[in-house]
Amino acid sequence: MTMSESGGTYIDNFPAEARVVRSALYSSFLALALGGLFGIIQTLHRTDIYRFIESDMYYTVLTAHGVFLVVTFTIFFLVGVFTWAVTTSLDRGVEDIRFTWLWYGLMTIGTVMAAAAILAGFTDSIDMSADVLFTFYAPLQAHWLFYLGLVVFVVGTWLAGADWFRSWWAWKQENPDERIPLPTFMVLTTMLMWYIATIGIAVSILVFLLPWSLGIIDSVNPTLTRTLFWFWGHPVVYFWLLPAYMMWYVMLPKISGGKLFSDPLARVVFILFLLLSTPVGIHHQYLDPGIAEGFKFIAMTNTMFLLLPSLLTAFTVVASMEHGARQRGGTGYFGWLKALPWRDPVFAGMALAGLMFAAGGFSGMINAGMNINYLVHNTLWVPGHFHLTVGTASALTFMAATYWLLPQLTGKALWNRSVALVQVVLWFLGMTFMSNSMHRAGLLGIPRRTAEPQYQGFEFEAGVGSVAELDFQLALGGALLAISIVLFLANVVGTAFNGRSDDLPANEFAETLSGPEDSPQVLDNLKLWTAIAVVLVILAYSFPLMSIVDRGGLYGPDISPFPVSIETLSLLAFTLEQYTTAAIATTGEFVQTTLTGVIR
Amino acid sequence: MGQAIEKPEEKREIGHDEYNPVGTLALILLYFVLLVFLWFFMYFVEFLGNDPTVVGTVVASGVVG
Ligand code: HEM
Ligand SMILES: [Cu+2]
Repeated sequence: MTMSESGGTYIDNFPAEARVVRSALYSSFLALALGGLFGIIQTLHRTDIYRFIESDMYYTVLTAHGVFLVVTFTIFFLVGVFTWAVTTSLDRGVEDIRFTWLWYGLMTIGTVMAAAAILAGFTDSIDMSADVLFTFYAPLQAHWLFYLGLVVFVVGTWLAGADWFRSWWAWKQENPDERIPLPTFMVLTTMLMWYIATIGIAVSILVFLLPWSLGIIDSVNPTLTRTLFWFWGHPVVYFWLLPAYMMWYVMLPKISGGKLFSDPLARVVFILFLLLSTPVGIHHQYLDPGIAEGFKFIAMTNTMFLLLPSLLTAFTVVASMEHGARQRGGTGYFGWLKALPWRDPVFAGMALAGLMFAAGGFSGMINAGMNINYLVHNTLWVPGHFHLTVGTASALTFMAATYWLLPQLTGKALWNRSVALVQVVLWFLGMTFMSNSMHRAGLLGIPRRTAEPQYQGFEFEAGVGSVAELDFQLALGGALLAISIVLFLANVVGTAFNGRSDDLPANEFAETLSGPEDSPQVLDNLKLWTAIAVVLVILAYSFPLMSIVDRGGLYGPDISPFPVSIETLSLLAFTLEQYTTAAIATTGEFVQTTLTGVIR
Repeated sequence: MGQAIEKPEEKREIGHDEYNPVGTLALILLYFVLLVFLWFFMYFVEFLGNDPTVVGTVVASGVVG
């Protein structure tokens, strides 16, 4: 693997790039701070421990939580860490730093637009809202600024990908016979997946939702826009995970004191994700009427294949850690675990994140099964699952990686390593409580996305423990997570204000036990893999999409937009009331006449 | 503060051919056993009772009329 020959820190070698990467990371952490704040607010609200917002604002809070965390926090981190990975592994700066700032700028502007539309939902003085949650399903309708912001943001990520491809092409001119360095290979395959995936939301927003929010078209076909959303919505989960996987492959072995077990296997894993991430999105729609069971079954089968690359990752990463542990003197079947550097926050954070991901793997398998999915669909089980995956496997790995990256990017030592260690352990503990209670609550059928999950005349019954105990665990876990975020941010700020240090380690990746020379050349044929990926997507999606359009029409069966605001809600309640009163009156009459008929 | 990353003190060098990841194998087997157990558990939790998916009781109040 090519490494920075010069042996200095990242900021020594690439001062201009370090500034962009730093900016991307700080943007990411700002989103984490806001998202975390909304997270604890909604936790306390739905458990009825402390309610200080009106329940009709819950969707505004939840939209902000979802969007800031799974779009802003994760993707800004991704572009930062990918820029670092490409420049380090090719050992060359970006081709034109102005272009790099351009895509960073577009992403920032897009974020500000979407965030403004969401946050305006908190006040009545601005006639704007985007209480559509991060899934923005029609007929929920957001202000056009929200959709336009998303578009600008995604265009920014496209240009970021172009920037990395451009670096690779330039490097290839000078190194025609060399294998693509592993980190760059990972970045490029991930971006190819992203280009394919974003076609889904690009069409959904540009052709349907944006014109609809502007009043250019009157109606959309909700099944169609939902399906296009999930066309992107499943691969995006790998967009969150793959930067974490990359760090597990290229950093974790080194930090464990060993080498990456196999470079070829890592390449195979990323190719499998490129091929299989997209043709599975319909597994989020098992309960959608209007999509034939057969299509859902195909999506399920593809999903089960998708388990393979994650299991391969588990094997390769654990084997690399074990290699480190044995070099450090570890022995036995399990004894080697003790020889790992658990006091290093970078290691502990990433390893704990991986452990939680293994637990998330189980609940994911439940979600993926068509029939069992019916039991947990739209219950708290689902947030329980993805707080383990994106909320921990990605988020905790990103935080742990920051403890390694930030000194590289600033030239300053980490402010406090003990605080960092406490932070990652707190996250693990907090998530154990929160996710455990969410999964169990889901099994009782307690719904997600609900401000007041309590009903008149009905009580949920826990087999083990009680609903009050589940609520308490949820709130306790949420509080620990919130504290953990505060500690993380404190470390980031503390580091930023530290003085320059000159005994920082060099900016290097892990070496490999089995290197790229052991892998077939065809693995690096990106055109081939992209072509196969596109064919698979066409196979998986053309018939479902055709049948959805056939049934519901391209622009749908004339639905009314539903911006969630109190006026529409009360209007809806009023209409409902009118209808029910009328219905009850007629039923009453009907019952009366039949009864009298029978009695007579 | 000192170094941001502790340099792991390497005790010995283990090459590709002398390395057998038996510990990894042990952990993976453990994980599979756990998965199978959880799967059975899920069966008991969700299917054996044949109860509705939402678990709870309807508290009769105000329905009488
Ligand atoms: C302080 C830490 C956090 C707390 C207390 C928290 C709490 C919660 C709770 C209680 C819900 C369920 C709300 C409902 O369905 O009614 C939720 C949903 C969600 N959380 Fe978190 N969370 C935290 C961190 C994270 C992180 C780090 C991520 C991702 C990186 C994340 C992503 C999400 C998403 C995507 C949803 C679903 C939103 C929706 O249904 O539209 N959360 N969170
Ligand atoms: Cu999915």
